[in-house]
Amino acid sequence: MSISDDGGALDYEQARRQSGAVEASTLPPLRLFIAAAVLIGLAAAVQLVGRHAEPAAQLQLSLILGVAFGFVLQRSRFCFFCIWKDWLDRRDSQGLLGILAALGVGLVGYTLIYGAWLPDPSGTRLPPTAHIGPVGPALLLAGLAFGAGMAISGSCISAHLYRLGEGSPTSPFALIGAVGGFILGFLSWNPLYLGTISESPVLWLPRQLGYGGALIAGLFVLGGLAYWLLRTGRRAAGPDAPAAAADPLAAIFLRRWPSWLGGLFVGLIGIAAYLRLSPLGVTAEIGSRSRQLATHFELLPSRLEGLDSFRGCATAIRDALLTPNGLFIAGIVTSAFAAALAAGEFKPKRPGGGHVLRGLIGGALLGWGTVIGLGCTVGTLLSGISAGAVSGWVFGIGLLAGTTLTLKLGRRLGLLA
Amino acid sequence: MSVISLLRRGALALAAGLLASTAAFAQSGPLVTTEWLEKNLSDPKVRIVEVSVEPGVYERGHIPGAQNVVWHTDLVETVSRDIASPEKFQALARKLGVDKDTTVVLYGDSNNWFAAWGAWVFDIYGLRDNVKLLDGGRKKWELEKRPVATNPVAVKASAFTVAEPNRKLRARLTDVVATVEKKSDARILDIRSPDEFSGKIIAPAGFQELALRAGHIPGSVNVAWARAVNQADGTIKPVEELKKLYAEAGIDGSKPVITTCRIGERSSHTWFILSRVLGYQVANYDGSWTEYGNVVGLPISNPAGTVWTGK
Repeated sequence: MSISDDGGALDYEQARRQSGAVEASTLPPLRLFIAAAVLIGLAAAVQLVGRHAEPAAQLQLSLILGVAFGFVLQRSRFCFFCIWKDWLDRRDSQGLLGILAALGVGLVGYTLIYGAWLPDPSGTRLPPTAHIGPVGPALLLAGLAFGAGMAISGSCISAHLYRLGEGSPTSPFALIGAVGGFILGFLSWNPLYLGTISESPVLWLPRQLGYGGALIAGLFVLGGLAYWLLRTGRRAAGPDAPAAAADPLAAIFLRRWPSWLGGLFVGLIGIAAYLRLSPLGVTAEIGSRSRQLATHFELLPSRLEGLDSFRGCATAIRDALLTPNGLFIAGIVTSAFAAALAAGEFKPKRPGGGHVLRGLIGGALLGWGTVIGLGCTVGTLLSGISAGAVSGWVFGIGLLAGTTLTLKLGRRLGLLA
Repeated sequence: MSVISLLRRGALALAAGLLASTAAFAQSGPLVTTEWLEKNLSDPKVRIVEVSVEPGVYERGHIPGAQNVVWHTDLVETVSRDIASPEKFQALARKLGVDKDTTVVLYGDSNNWFAAWGAWVFDIYGLRDNVKLLDGGRKKWELEKRPVATNPVAVKASAFTVAEPNRKLRARLTDVVATVEKKSDARILDIRSPDEFSGKIIAPAGFQELALRAGHIPGSVNVAWARAVNQADGTIKPVEELKKLYAEAGIDGSKPVITTCRIGERSSHTWFILSRVLGYQVANYDGSWTEYGNVVGLPISNPAGTVWTGK
């Protein structure tokens, strides 16, 4: 088995161990030097953004959170598809428990913030900017498409971003494909909006259940799922094994983090982003630039009905060169690169025809699902469920169904690994 | 009760009265300073209300103790195009704990645009002299590095009873048409940008046209709203400068004034200055260009000579 990004997170880890990548407990000087140089470069970028861009504090913090997010994603291999595949193929539940941890932490943090921002949830108002989207057939369809895109391209959008930093041969094409998918999404938006989305209710659990009720219900479901996973899942000899108790530097920079730790940090970064900037999301910038591109070539209708009025990863065209989400994305990719480099996981590979094709097709599905679902695994699933939005759960269900069906079908046809 | 204790009580009452009147004096005008507000944050008779344009600004940090009002749902009817109905406004004021004896300080982003709109709606429903704007608004408060908070502060609801809407503060299309036809001696002050006024453009950059014709109401004069504001900190210019600025356009308070813009919100900023700071008789025309410029058959002045959005 080779170190490729086509397998699950566990496959990857085991291949790494077999190839002896983890055995060193100190960083080789050259790798350390380059990774440190990238980090110093990022620090300089934060400083420059603070001096030359407006609004400075917002843009700086976006970049900093992006760096943190990219580092956490890369170190814990927080890839929704790989995690799902580990469970499907081997009943390894560690990754899924990490996702549940992220959702639980996010839910608690959002509830704390809500109490300050909108003390009474029973009115007609929604908490500002939280990703609470319309729930209807289009959302389910978006989840299915996004899930299929994950299975075909090997990752969701956030994981493609950190894998870009690892030198993945598929990710660049998946992101290019996503741009095409975004444009297809914009083209199909108006009929879908008029046909179903405009009638779909925007459901926010705290409105019906109160903050306490929504929190308890959410934690109950997450806790129930965790209990079930712990009972049925197998604990593979992964990075959580006691052997991992090594040198702390190696534990942070060389070994894969236990997924619960990754989940904890993902949840905390999500809370920080919501408190200070806007809910975590990785597609606003890509969506907005795709829309700008398509508008430039006069591909889009002059009005996308109601699109910009929904909560979620906004794709409204921005004039600015530097946007908060753009810097966030740049931070993810660059710090994932530094983290991968330090860990010896930066393995650029020449893309083959299969990488290109699967990247483009899968990416297009990811992009389409993101426009219709108003976000991806991060913007709609993670930030939505944290926000108490029913849309987050529905998108998640569609996504799991889409990815499972596509993977099974693809394997039967001999097209997917 | 001895004479001495009576005297002592009297002196105390007098001192208390004096103190109260100095506090009242500090806020007798229509504007309060950021300094005054910070000193009076904990005064239970001072109610601070933020009305900002951008959603989510209040929640991420506001003047400690401030309540939030969302202009596009709280202060208007959401189905018909109108300001909030008396019942709706009364419910809002009660919820905010506002009454005729409360000092209400409104403030917001964008140089108090919508805070001024709020002051106009409050005035229409009988809350006038006790409603103030924070001079410089959110901008000055932030520039001076004063503290902001996010924790909610519960307020006790009031028993405020709404007054009959004051028609004199609000101009309707018929009032404007009467002025155009010279059946009324009011002066119309258009506070949009010179390019909108001349008809070169229908709406400012970034806004949809929403009116089918460009130009302005015949006979109206143009003083862009921002000219009344110190750009550095968003404060309103001194009274003498304001008087001069508007007198140059023929607005000197000798005739009633109608302020107008595109949708009537920016013009409430100028309404506040003319009506509350300078004491002129002013009505705000909230129909503004998106009403007047869309009515079939009304005369329009369009010096730029544009047809739709071009020549």
